[in-house]
Amino acid sequence: MCQKREFCNTMKYFTPKNRLALLAIALGLGSASCSRYFAPREQAVYTKLQIDSTLTGDSTFLQLYAPYREQLEAEMNRVVGYTDVNLTHPRDVPETRLGNFFADALLAEGKKRHPDAELSFGTKGGLRIELQKGTITMGNLFELMPFENEMVLLELSGKSLLQLAQFIAATDGQPVAGLRMRIKDGKAIDITVAGKPLELSRTYKLITYDYLANGGDNSRGLSNPVSRTNLGLKVREALITYVGEQTRAGKHINTQLDGRITHNQ
Amino acid sequence: MEGLPTINRRHFLKQAGTFGTLSLLGGIPLAALANEDHIALTILHTNDVHSRIDPFPMDGSRNQGLGGVARRATLVERIRSEQRNVLLLDAGDTVQGTPYFNLFGGKVELELMSKMGYEASTIGNHEFDNGLEGLAKMLPYAKFPFLTANYDFSDTMLKGKTREYSIFKKQGLRIGVFGLGIELDGMVDPTLCRDVRYLDPIATANTLAERLKQDYRCSFVICLSHLGYKYQGNKVSDVVLAKNTRNIDLIIGGHTHTFMPAPESIRNLNGELTTINQVGFGGINLGRLDYVFEQQSGRKELVTASSYEITDGVSVWNG
Repeated sequence: MCQKREFCNTMKYFTPKNRLALLAIALGLGSASCSRYFAPREQAVYTKLQIDSTLTGDSTFLQLYAPYREQLEAEMNRVVGYTDVNLTHPRDVPETRLGNFFADALLAEGKKRHPDAELSFGTKGGLRIELQKGTITMGNLFELMPFENEMVLLELSGKSLLQLAQFIAATDGQPVAGLRMRIKDGKAIDITVAGKPLELSRTYKLITYDYLANGGDNSRGLSNPVSRTNLGLKVREALITYVGEQTRAGKHINTQLDGRITHNQ
Repeated sequence: MEGLPTINRRHFLKQAGTFGTLSLLGGIPLAALANEDHIALTILHTNDVHSRIDPFPMDGSRNQGLGGVARRATLVERIRSEQRNVLLLDAGDTVQGTPYFNLFGGKVELELMSKMGYEASTIGNHEFDNGLEGLAKMLPYAKFPFLTANYDFSDTMLKGKTREYSIFKKQGLRIGVFGLGIELDGMVDPTLCRDVRYLDPIATANTLAERLKQDYRCSFVICLSHLGYKYQGNKVSDVVLAKNTRNIDLIIGGHTHTFMPAPESIRNLNGELTTINQVGFGGINLGRLDYVFEQQSGRKELVTASSYEITDGVSVWNG
């Protein structure tokens, strides 16, 4: 009963008559187990509530935004493609299907304009939803990449790319394509680009997007590129094109994990 | 339990009956506060709703079917019908995340929040996603203020379009509300927030909270924070803010999308408690904090804290 201490303190504020009312509320909340609802001293009574089934949407609200919704659905329900696997994005592993799909798409679309691009890089925080097995709609791709970010080609020194790899290791993996590495004690080792070991003495062409190239997500290695080219193409548009072309070729998305970033075992 | 009359259940039910139906929605029924000296205040809050106008789609994902602005509106209306003093607040990132924002630029989100009677929100990092121009374009659709004290917009087109704080009066009670935003560097593309000056959140908060308490005689000071709940290291968060300030009673947080299992109270520089609460994201939950104020003594107490999960579920009380 001591756990009711805070509740009892509140009683000081009430006249005897009103105490009963407050007690009534308390018993109403906590008839099963008092300790469940009355936290220790200095914590308020805490309850997690679910609304009941009679709580339906306010029809004036539904009517108010119905015209917007109709326009949105007309544009967003269009099926762009299909995925045979759940493109998931768990945060406790260095490589994910969603991250691979995203970075692969970025690199493929970047290479159409710059065939000498060798790798791509995005960040986990930029991928806003997972894609479930089945159809991929316009709406899905808008929600995956809602931002108006535009693609950028950066020419980086080998040293800068090493810095980027160390950032990727320190943050336990990020979406990449063309780059492979292992993470040992928070450091990147065995780094390869397009199948060859990283050479500090040469430069590399990397596809990413303006948010990251401008310093977003505190990534490292991108701030002093040898050169920068803005592609004038939104990341989302690149994803739509990538998925659409797979569909027109009669293919489904079937991204697998390929060990591009692993923990050193 | 000192001073409490012992009471058996049957007697209690009889007594409870004299006060009318107990609220199914929780909190303190008005009947419990017949005494003029006591004022009940119900604070309802959301954060990081991210343009989630419709409930999450039924696609097998974790949050399918949850949230939705129309059901939240019904819930808020019901609570307003039960409580005299309600304050409906949001902690930023109202936009970005569904095509409603891509297609309509924030108009739908802010019009619906206005209709629901939101009384204030703050500027989160995603409010900058269409640049200062995009933000300036959408703000007129909000009939409530965007409160932000540590983004200095005076050299930008947003000058005069936001406020540092607002004071709300409920049954004579003065409640000061101000807003704090997260560091822009590394978070918002510099081309989208050009010429915005970022001011130290802790110094800003201390100055403003003191002014609200001392000069403007507010009984209660709320910070709408988009700093984030807690980080590893020294990065300023709601927890760091609470520990290093005076005069803030409540921090309604956002940014980190944290589903806090319960509000957290932390001793501030005055040795008083500053309470932090944050309710996830996407409008999945509506947070609710019920306070009681004693007019004469100036004492206040958080009596109940709850969060409603916006779902089709049938369980009313689900501890």
